[in-house]
Amino acid sequence: MPDYKTEQNKPHSDCISSDLQHNLAKIQQLFTETPDMITRHLTIKQSGRQAVLIYIDGLNDKAAINDDVLRPLQQELGEDSQEIAVTVGHVGHLSSWEQAELAFFQGNSLLFIDGEEQAYALDTKGWPQRNIEDPQLESSLKGAHQGFLESGDLNIALIRRYIPHRGLKIKRIMVGERGRTIVSIMYIEDIANEKYMAELERRIRQIKVDAIINTGELCEFIEDNPFSLFPQLITTERPDTTASQLLQGRCAVVVDRSPNVLIAPVTFMSFFQNIDDYSSRWTIATFLRLLRMFAFITAAFLPAIYISVVSYHFEIIPLKLLLTLGESRGQVPFPPFVEAILMETTLELLREAGIRLPAPVGQTVGIVGGIVIGQAVVQAGLISNVMVIVVAFTAISSFILPNYDMVAAVRLIRFILMILASMFGFVGLVIGFMTMFGHIIALKSLGTSYGSPIAPVRLADLKDTLIRVPLWLMDKRPLSTAPKQSKRQRQSRVQGDEE
Amino acid sequence: MKSYVGKQITLFQFIAIISGSQVSVAVLSLPKRLAEAADTDGWIALIIGWGLSLIAGLSIVHIMKFHPNGNLFDLLSEYIGKWAGKLAALLFALYFLYLMYDGLVRTILVTKTWLLPTTQSFILMPLLLIPAYSIVRHGIRNVARYAELVIWMSLWIPIIYLFTLKHAHWLYLLPIVKNGWMPVLAAVKSTIYPMLGMVEIFVIYPHLKYKQYAGKGIVIANSITALLYLFVTLTCYVYFSPEENKLYNDPVISVLKSIEFKFIERIEVPFIAFYLFIFSLIWVPTIYLVSFCTAWLFKQDSIIVPLRVLIISIAIGTYFYFPTYNVSTYLANTLNSVGFIAEYIFPICMLSFLWLSKLWRKERSSP
Repeated sequence: MPDYKTEQNKPHSDCISSDLQHNLAKIQQLFTETPDMITRHLTIKQSGRQAVLIYIDGLNDKAAINDDVLRPLQQELGEDSQEIAVTVGHVGHLSSWEQAELAFFQGNSLLFIDGEEQAYALDTKGWPQRNIEDPQLESSLKGAHQGFLESGDLNIALIRRYIPHRGLKIKRIMVGERGRTIVSIMYIEDIANEKYMAELERRIRQIKVDAIINTGELCEFIEDNPFSLFPQLITTERPDTTASQLLQGRCAVVVDRSPNVLIAPVTFMSFFQNIDDYSSRWTIATFLRLLRMFAFITAAFLPAIYISVVSYHFEIIPLKLLLTLGESRGQVPFPPFVEAILMETTLELLREAGIRLPAPVGQTVGIVGGIVIGQAVVQAGLISNVMVIVVAFTAISSFILPNYDMVAAVRLIRFILMILASMFGFVGLVIGFMTMFGHIIALKSLGTSYGSPIAPVRLADLKDTLIRVPLWLMDKRPLSTAPKQSKRQRQSRVQGDEE
Repeated sequence: MKSYVGKQITLFQFIAIISGSQVSVAVLSLPKRLAEAADTDGWIALIIGWGLSLIAGLSIVHIMKFHPNGNLFDLLSEYIGKWAGKLAALLFALYFLYLMYDGLVRTILVTKTWLLPTTQSFILMPLLLIPAYSIVRHGIRNVARYAELVIWMSLWIPIIYLFTLKHAHWLYLLPIVKNGWMPVLAAVKSTIYPMLGMVEIFVIYPHLKYKQYAGKGIVIANSITALLYLFVTLTCYVYFSPEENKLYNDPVISVLKSIEFKFIERIEVPFIAFYLFIFSLIWVPTIYLVSFCTAWLFKQDSIIVPLRVLIISIAIGTYFYFPTYNVSTYLANTLNSVGFIAEYIFPICMLSFLWLSKLWRKERSSP
């Protein structure tokens, strides 16, 4: 038993009594100082028995309680049957106080009837909920404009809309001793490899914490290498992305109350894919993929390359350019490394400030930062012109990457490489590159190779990584997920004289 | 008996490890060494050296077929005795250590000459060991993947060398066999050092997924190495005059000076930095092999302890002593002889012994 469980939280193994007064007393004892709890005494017209309905104000849909629970109970006349006469969708039968407490706090209203050794959990959930909106971080031009919400059930429904098939299975696990978050693992039974599914389930079941607030927290508990800079699982806010990944043989983890869904297992290259790629023409999608790879390399390496060229290997710069560079650098009192760190830190500050501020003010930050600081700092002779270009280029490159977690990793890698480059020039850069490569190929995502299809080389998988071949040629699911069914389509195009 | 399940490597990874170890640092000085012995006929010696290394490599593969699910030390323990296995493990650990140290020293000397003349060797050594440690500690599979990746990444290098052929003088190669065959045969000796690395099969063979292709693998690996050497050597011979060939220490790098792009003045600087990847193909696998042999000797399943001891002691040792260029040349020359014994003589003797003992056993068992 974990020791952080307080006395008050111990499971109430005692059963619900058939005596209503006894149950009322128990309710009073369990839920003290809970002013948002509403208790309604009523008489059921059907049987004439006394009953009590309790629910939490704010987690319940008042209209549903009035129309679907109270009205039928108090007005219904007819045959005496086993079923209670409410018209809500789901009625649960609870026999223990522990179950009752959980159902109560999850937004169900509880009905206790005199003479019955059970309570009814009536599904009248209705908490404040925002409308379905376009996802903020993963915007898409051609994809659906529906993002996930803060409700697990609705998120599952959004995904199910894309895969209306009985093969789509859901496994529910309760995580957290106090938070009691419902975590649902989704997978397509006849595609996903059950080895990864079982591993995912084992890892989630192992979590012993107070509460999981967000998908990111869950991710941190279950990822393979928590010390790595690289994200090893994808969190997405798009149902279409999730459905596409499920169809490729991966698992999705829906965390209730979180607008993100976790995708596992993934590879390094998955972070460069975007759902738009599949609805654009394949040529442009391929071009964008390559552009993203280029942007990744630029965002991570460009300031470091600048530092090492300027401070160690200026002999490789063509003479004319060297003169221009010297002119620009001549005014600057700092070594290139200090110059770069100053500008990069400024950039990071501006970026964070832009995110935290409300949108209209955020734009001002961009203008103040970009134009005022950029221009003034050069005129004051603190930073060279070339450095401003390098930093701007780096920033633009990092904005191209579609995954926020990968961008965060690149930001840190950039600083590490800058330090290495300032100490050892190109040698430091190559050593950093080598270590990063060695790290990526050693990483695992849910036990699968993170570096695939580059290392280990899986030529068949390359068709959807660096390049994106036309969809009708992608007739196999990616090998990296080791799917049970690898074939995903038959010949879908009419060929030759058949038309 | 150790289990090799889940630690298997593919044929291409096998080829990448062998070929990578052979090429690594040896490629830099090869044209010069060949030119010293046989002038511009050195490339003929390469073909003979390739034939010799094929014989040695194939006999290594044949030896391993006697005990496909274990390494050389398991095989020796079974055929001769426990002590023979241990002795071999110790000797091979020392041999791999030698290969590794030579590779590291060469890398650092080249780096110091071309890129960082003022940085101390004892700073560069730990710097090189950091990525090596991060790769090796995850085991043979990771080493194999790394080797594979580096080979893919390096495919563009030969294309750059084609640019130097603009200044080629093919007449330098004529007449062929100008000084008779003796100098050519003498130059064969210089091809031994650049071909060293086949002996790694003794340890990685049990990891190979499809063992029936091992023979094919070694033929491909040796041929890739030989073709690359031939290409580089001929490039240097047609670019430099026969006299210049003997002057430059690292002609493979110097030849790049002729290439000029509008956007980059001296292309050899980024090249040398990139070559660190290729150089690493000698020290990364051998660091694994030294650790593995030591772990085998002490009957440990994990290579982590020997690996850490090895890395830390080299890093500390470099602070007190680091070879100069001359010592390094001496090291390489000795390695030429030691390697000849370990990779050419030993496998052939071993194979004959195994065949004879098989024959002897058959005779004894037949009435």
